Amino acid sequence: MSRLSVGDASLTSILQRQGAFLKGQVQRASTEMVTGKLTDLGAGVRGDFSPLAAIDASLSRLSGYKAATTDAGVFAQAMQTVMATFSQISGEVGTTLLRSASLTTPAQVDTAAAEARARLGTALAGLNTKVSDRALFGGVVTDRPPLGSADDLLTALQPTLAGAVTAADVETAVKGWFTTTGGYDTFYQGGTPTGPILIAAGEEAEMSITALAPAFRDTLAGLAMAALLDRGLLFGQSSARADLAQRAGLTLHAGEEKRAVLAARLGTVEKQIEDAKTRNSAEDTALKISRSDIAAAEPFEAASRLKELQSQLESLYLITSRVSRLSLAEYLR
Amino acid sequence: MSITSALNAALTGLSATQRQAEITASNVANATTPAYARREVQLGAAVLAGTGQGVMVMGITRQVDQYVLAERRLAQAGDGDRALRSEFLGKVEASIGSPDQPGSIGARIAAFDRSLIEAASRPESEARLAVVANSARSLASGLAAASQDVQQARGTADRMIARDVDALNAGLAQVQDINATLRSFSGVGRDISALLDQRQRVIDQISAIVPLREVPREGNQIALFTTGGVSLLEGTPARFGFTASNTVTAEMTLAAGGLSGLTVNGRSVDTAGTSSPVLGGRLGALFAVRDDLAVTAQSGLDAMARDLVERFGTPAVDPTLAPGDPGLFTDQGAAFLPVNEAGLAARIRMNTAADPSQGGALFRLRDGLQATVPGALGSNTLLKNLHLALSAPRVLSSAGFAAGNRDMAGLAADVLSDASTRRLNADSEASFASARFATLSDLEKQGGVDTDQEMQMLLVIEKNYAANAKVIQTVSNMIDTLMRLGT
Repeated sequence: MSRLSVGDASLTSILQRQGAFLKGQVQRASTEMVTGKLTDLGAGVRGDFSPLAAIDASLSRLSGYKAATTDAGVFAQAMQTVMATFSQISGEVGTTLLRSASLTTPAQVDTAAAEARARLGTALAGLNTKVSDRALFGGVVTDRPPLGSADDLLTALQPTLAGAVTAADVETAVKGWFTTTGGYDTFYQGGTPTGPILIAAGEEAEMSITALAPAFRDTLAGLAMAALLDRGLLFGQSSARADLAQRAGLTLHAGEEKRAVLAARLGTVEKQIEDAKTRNSAEDTALKISRSDIAAAEPFEAASRLKELQSQLESLYLITSRVSRLSLAEYLR
Repeated sequence: MSITSALNAALTGLSATQRQAEITASNVANATTPAYARREVQLGAAVLAGTGQGVMVMGITRQVDQYVLAERRLAQAGDGDRALRSEFLGKVEASIGSPDQPGSIGARIAAFDRSLIEAASRPESEARLAVVANSARSLASGLAAASQDVQQARGTADRMIARDVDALNAGLAQVQDINATLRSFSGVGRDISALLDQRQRVIDQISAIVPLREVPREGNQIALFTTGGVSLLEGTPARFGFTASNTVTAEMTLAAGGLSGLTVNGRSVDTAGTSSPVLGGRLGALFAVRDDLAVTAQSGLDAMARDLVERFGTPAVDPTLAPGDPGLFTDQGAAFLPVNEAGLAARIRMNTAADPSQGGALFRLRDGLQATVPGALGSNTLLKNLHLALSAPRVLSSAGFAAGNRDMAGLAADVLSDASTRRLNADSEASFASARFATLSDLEKQGGVDTDQEMQMLLVIEKNYAANAKVIQTVSNMIDTLMRLGT
C-alpha cells in the first residue's frame, strides 16, 4: 500500500534502536579490548565448553602437581644429602679404624673408637632429619624422629652382648641385632614407607626409603661396633679391641656398594621428579596457548571493531541531529 | 434565498475547518502516544432538499491498519515469550559459570582436585588438609547456590504467572466494559475514537500475556480468541484461575504436585505442548520456565551432585566406610538414596565428620571418615584415592545424558555446554522474534501521526478558514450593497 505519510514515532524508534545496538556493541568491544576475554564465552565456543573445561581442569591439576613436585624435589634432595653424609662418614671412619687396627697401639684404637661413636651420632641425626616439619626417614610417621640418639642405640644394643667374649662374637651379636626382628626394627620408631607421591598425570614418584634400608643398617652396625669400644667393651684386651676395630672398618667399607645402590635409586627418582617438572611446565605453557586460541579475545580485532563502531555511531548522531531539524514546523514561521 | 445559502455554506465551511483544526491539534498532541491512531475528519457535501448546502462532517475515522496491528500483537507476544526463555537460560548458564570464572562449578571442582593432589604430596600438613576441606565445602555450596538460583527463578516465574493471570482477568473485564460502553455510544453519532484507542491499549497489554486474535462483531464490538483457540471474550470474558505457591523447591513439580496448573472457567487446561491454548506469549514462557526449562537445568545440577556423592561414597575409596555409610559428600548428612535424586544439588553437603567448622576433624580426610583416632601422619593412600575417584572416568547413574565415561570435570563441562547450547539457541530465536517485533512495530508506527503532514493540513485548514471567512465578508458586503439601494 502506498503511504502519503510516515509516522514520526517510526523514525524515532528506528534511531533509538540503532543507537542502543551500536552502544551495546561498543561496550562489548571495549570490554574485550581491555580484559582480553570474550564477553560471551558461550557464543565464542559455540556452546561446547568441553575442550575449554578440560584445559582449565588440566591447568588447575598442573598447579597442584607443581606444589607436589617441588615438595618431592626438596625431600629427595634432603635424603640425598643425608646419604652423602653416610658415605663420607663410613669412608672416613672405616679408613681410620682399619689404620688404627694395623698400628696395634691401644691409644690409636681408642681414638678411632671415640671418633666412630661421635660419627654414629652424626649418622643417626642424619636419619632423624626433619625437612619442612616432616621426618624424612620415618615412613608414614612423620611427626617424630624415627631413631633415638647414639647412646640410646648403644644402650639398646648392650643386652645382646651378654656372653660375647671375642671380637667375632661381638660382630655376630651386633649384626644380628641390626638384621633380625626385635632388634633394630624395634628401635626404629617410624612407620611403613610412605606411598608414592603424585607428580604428574598418572605418574608417581616412589619415596619409600626409610631408616630401615639395609644400607643404613650396615653402616650403623659398623659404626656401633666401633662405638662400643669407646664404651669400654672388651676392656683391657687390646688385641681383641684391635680385631673388633678392624671388623668394624671392614663392615663400613663393605657397606659402600649398598649405599651407592640406594643413592642411585634415589637419584633416579630425583631425575624422574625433575623430568616431570619440566614436562608439566611445558604442558602448562602449551595448554595456556591453546586456551587463549579458544577463549581469548583478539585485542587488535576488538580495537579495529571499536574504530568502525565509532564512525558508525558518529554517523548515527549526525543523522539524528539532521533529521530532527527536518520538520515542516521549523520552516513555518 | 441563494445569498443566505451562500452564507450558510460558508458557515458550515467554517465549522468544518474548526473541527479539522481540532482533530489536527489532537493528532499533533498525541504524536508519540502509544496506541493512538491518527484521526481524520471525513467531509461530505451537505445536501438539503436535493440541493447542496455547504459541507458537513461525516464522521471521524481512526486510521488503523488492522492486519499490521494483529501481526504486531502476535510478534510482541512471541518476542516476550522468547526473551523470557533466553533470559532464564542465560541465568542458568551464568549460575553454573564458565570454568575460567573463580566461583564457577568447574573452577570449584578444579580447585578441589588441586587441593587433593597437594595434600597427597604432604598429608601431614594440616594447612593442606584444611584447603581440601574448604574446597570440598565450597564445591558443595557452589552446587547448592546454582540450584538455589534455578529454584528462585522458578519461584519468580510462579509469582509472575499469578500476576499475569490477574492482569489477564482484569484486562478482559476492562475490554468487556469498553465493549458495553461502545454499544451504547454507537449509533448515537458520537466520536468513539478515544474509546477505541483505550480498548486497543488494553488488548495490547493482554496480547503480551497470551497471543490473541481480535474478531470484529456488530456495533463496534469485538471478540477475543487465543491463537490456541480458547475464547477469551465472547460477550462475557473467560475466567482464568491460578494459585501461586509461597515457596518453590526442586521436589515440587506440576506433575508430582505442589504447583498449581491453569484453569479457564474452572476447567484445567494444558500449559505446555501443542494442545495448550496459552502458548506463544509470556504466560506460556513462564509455564515453560517453571515446568520445563528449570526442571531440566535442575536435573543437570542434580546429576552432577549425584555423581559427586557416588564417586566418594564407596568402601573402595575409603576403606573405613561400611556399605551404606555416607561418603565425603552427603545428602544433608545422610547417605544418598537414588530415589532422592531430585533436588540433591540443593541438599548436598560435605560430610561433617571431616569438616572442622562443623565439629569434624581434618585427619579423617587422611585416615578415613569413620576413623576415630588420627593414624600415621604421612599416609597418603586415601587422599590419592580421593583424587583418583574425582578424576576417574565413570559411567553416569543419572538418566538424560549421552552414554560414555566422564570424569567430574568432564561432567560439569557437559552440563555447562548443554546449558550454553540451549541459551544460544534461545538467544538466536529471541533475536529473530525481536527483529520481527521491531519490524512490525515500525510498520505500525509508520502509520502513526506524521507532524509534517499535520502541519500541511494545518496550512490547508488555515487557507480554507480564511477563504470561508472571506466568503462571509463578501456576502456581507453584497447584503450591505442591497441594503444601500433602499436609502
